[in-house]
Amino acid sequence: MKRLIYVLALLSGCATQPEAQREPAPPPEAQQLPAPAPERVPPPRAETTAVAGLMDSARADSAAGRLPNAAATLERALRIEPRNARLWHELAQVRFRQQNYGQAESLAVRSNTLAGSDAELRAMNQRLIDEARAAKR
Amino acid sequence: MARRTKLRKFLRFALLATLLAAAGVTLYLDFRVRHEFEGRRFALPARIFARPLELHVGLRIPLPDVVDELKQLGYRDVARPGESGWYLRDEGRLEIALRPFVFWDGAQPPRAVSVGFEGGKVSMLRDASGQDVPLARVEPLPIGGIYPAGNEDRILVRVKDVPKHLVEELIAVEDRSFYSHHGFDPRGLARAARSVFSSRVQGGSTITQQLVKNFFLTPERTIQRKATELVMAVLLEMHYEKDEILETYLNEIYFGQDRDRAIHGVGLAAQYYFAKDVQYLSVAESAMLVGMIRGPAFYDPYKHAARTLERRNLVLRETRDQGKISLEQYTTARSAPLGVTGKSGMGTSPYPAFLKLVHKQLRRDYDEKDLRSEGLRIFTTLDPRAQGAAESALTRRLAQFDKEKRFGQPGLEGAVVITDPQSGEVQAMVGGRDVRYAGYNRALDAARPVGSLLKPAIYLTALSEPSRYTLLTPIDDGPFLWKSRGAPDWEPLNYDKKFHGMVPLRLALAHSYNAAAARLGTDLGIDKVLGNLRRLGVEREVRPYASAMLGAVDLSPFEVAQMYQTIASGGFRSPLRSIREVTTQDGKPLARYPLAVEQAFPPEPVYLLAAAMQDVVREGTGQAMKSYLPPEIAVAGKTGTTDEQRDAWFAGFSGDRLAVVWVGYDDNRAARLSGSAAALPIWGDLMAALRPEPLALARPERIEMVSIDPQSGLRGGASCPGAVELPFVQGSAPRERAPCSGPLDAAVDAVNQAVGETTKRAKTFLERLFGR
Repeated sequence: MKRLIYVLALLSGCATQPEAQREPAPPPEAQQLPAPAPERVPPPRAETTAVAGLMDSARADSAAGRLPNAAATLERALRIEPRNARLWHELAQVRFRQQNYGQAESLAVRSNTLAGSDAELRAMNQRLIDEARAAKR
Repeated sequence: MARRTKLRKFLRFALLATLLAAAGVTLYLDFRVRHEFEGRRFALPARIFARPLELHVGLRIPLPDVVDELKQLGYRDVARPGESGWYLRDEGRLEIALRPFVFWDGAQPPRAVSVGFEGGKVSMLRDASGQDVPLARVEPLPIGGIYPAGNEDRILVRVKDVPKHLVEELIAVEDRSFYSHHGFDPRGLARAARSVFSSRVQGGSTITQQLVKNFFLTPERTIQRKATELVMAVLLEMHYEKDEILETYLNEIYFGQDRDRAIHGVGLAAQYYFAKDVQYLSVAESAMLVGMIRGPAFYDPYKHAARTLERRNLVLRETRDQGKISLEQYTTARSAPLGVTGKSGMGTSPYPAFLKLVHKQLRRDYDEKDLRSEGLRIFTTLDPRAQGAAESALTRRLAQFDKEKRFGQPGLEGAVVITDPQSGEVQAMVGGRDVRYAGYNRALDAARPVGSLLKPAIYLTALSEPSRYTLLTPIDDGPFLWKSRGAPDWEPLNYDKKFHGMVPLRLALAHSYNAAAARLGTDLGIDKVLGNLRRLGVEREVRPYASAMLGAVDLSPFEVAQMYQTIASGGFRSPLRSIREVTTQDGKPLARYPLAVEQAFPPEPVYLLAAAMQDVVREGTGQAMKSYLPPEIAVAGKTGTTDEQRDAWFAGFSGDRLAVVWVGYDDNRAARLSGSAAALPIWGDLMAALRPEPLALARPERIEMVSIDPQSGLRGGASCPGAVELPFVQGSAPRERAPCSGPLDAAVDAVNQAVGETTKRAKTFLERLFGR
């Protein structure tokens, strides 16, 4: 299933040249800036090693049930890369597990606004949003 | 006979009663001594820390700024192998021996790192063995405390950590028979008795008595109080070991003032006067401290160095005379200078405005008493770099404006708030031009009319209806008259006293046209606009008058920061926070203040608004910013100026920081300075010092960029001169093509359209796949 999603994401990436171009979002009218090269694949998960390390330790904390620590670590990572949609998603996951469904939903929506053409992530966010809404009821 | 029996009976009864009363008092004192001494923990202030600096490759920070922070932390720039707390600087590289620190999420041992810098960024980070490391956290800067009554501050020490020579010196001058007496010294007592009647400075108290006096009793000098002191001292000696009494004494004793902060105990005194842990005090240093006990203000080493030196030498002589230090130790110590550190006292805090915010936010969750006594450790969001940049920009510019304007005293005032636009963390707060003064905090408590800073709420309301308003929609900036019953007619003028006819929406905002905004706001509905102001995060009640549209609304810089935060983060409101974590004094986590977001607006109108606010800086009232920041930073902002220029504002954001600046007079005099002339330069200075990240707005899916011919306001393209790319909510852009646009432009449009459709179809397919 995962692989299928990835292939689909790849395909949709091919089909959406302007979409990919949109990713670094140059400010309008800033014509003096060189236009970013069109990307043919979904944006790489461009975490720096610092963020990748924090993400790993957050996952470890999360797996061990140390949810407040996992959240704190993800917030640390977000201070380094505030536009990393995956970090927002992972924080949404942690909040969901903490049964804070309101925040889980809001954070997943936030992740979506930064997800660009990462269809896999968008789908994951949507699923989380739906589950959070259902759990709230 | 009967009478005598009666008398005797009465006497016996009186005697019994007296004895009982005395026993009762003693019992009561005994209870107090045991209960209070045992249960007594020193009231320890909550200690407040800045954010820790997290070094990682890619961090935007130049080498000198890291050095500054290390210096503030007391790191020395000499290698001290085997120790931590030093650094070496070498051609774009820093070797740092990081100190150990107990963070919220655990203890971090001391570690050595090597940091490389290139182009104002960290380019390399390695450990001692040359391995790349992802992150290195520097311990956070202490930025003050929340102190017990009298602003008492202390660092607790154990008697075993106090150097033996300090104890010897103390006993030599304060209480020679300390180890042999039972709480009082008969000879001293006789002296004290005389002093009560002659009201001279009383001496002769044993260490135990001094402790009792400081601990349990009020300072008045009566025979009754002296008797109580004596009884309690004896009781204390009965119940406790000499070392327990000594330890408490060493932690209790007063060593002078650091501005409004009282220095108590040898632990803090060693830090304050010598920047050392107590165990490293030399014979001479500890003699100075012991000498100060008699009168910390009289023997203040900063104010009365000669007198203090003389006193220290007396302590040394007494100690030598009693054979507690050797002749050699004495000679060395006597010839040493006082050796106190440069006075770097910070009082209760160097950042009083920020501390006030922290305290206010803490009070929601903690008892005032706990904050002042439990030694809590509070980890805050203060960024010392941002704070420093804000302080120096504000003070420098205000001094300059005062000189140019010559409006006399009191001079201009100002306030600054800086936040992280994504998380809502408050990075800096300056409450006035005297930045160390803990008085009136204008950033938090001064509500002033915001003027045009309110306009984004109007334009956001308009842009939330894409079928009616786009960035291109013509707005009428003709003369405007508002009549409402019970209120005088309202006829707002523009800043340049002219009207500009029909202007595209984005330019009406960029040039901050008043008539256009007033008309637009009242057309949309005052309640609707004010409702959106509330959704942006302004909680204060705002009266629904038409004049509110032009900023007849009093807000503090902090409230403005909250409002602009929601715009900067794409429509997600996060309450501004100054605290991250709270732990007990030994590091056990108590509370976290997590990041919380709430979507207040859909992303599309907020994106359009932010893009228009970039135009404010690029071509509108914020143009002067080009002398401070390169255009590619593309900051978004808004100027604000109120009637007669009483208030000058600038609020805006880059990719990584949001800042609000206010300038004006406390007494509301006309400052004759506009937002762009007074507040913008401060904003520009502080941002430039922080090398901001460019603002790259995250474009929502439903926003498309369309080339527009500025002449006709229709679809343009490469063949139209001066065509601009503008964002539109899909389907809201003009359909008609400008006369200048060629067939190639039309073809490009058609392709983009088709691609867009395909994307949408692919999306729906995916969404269906995941059950949506």
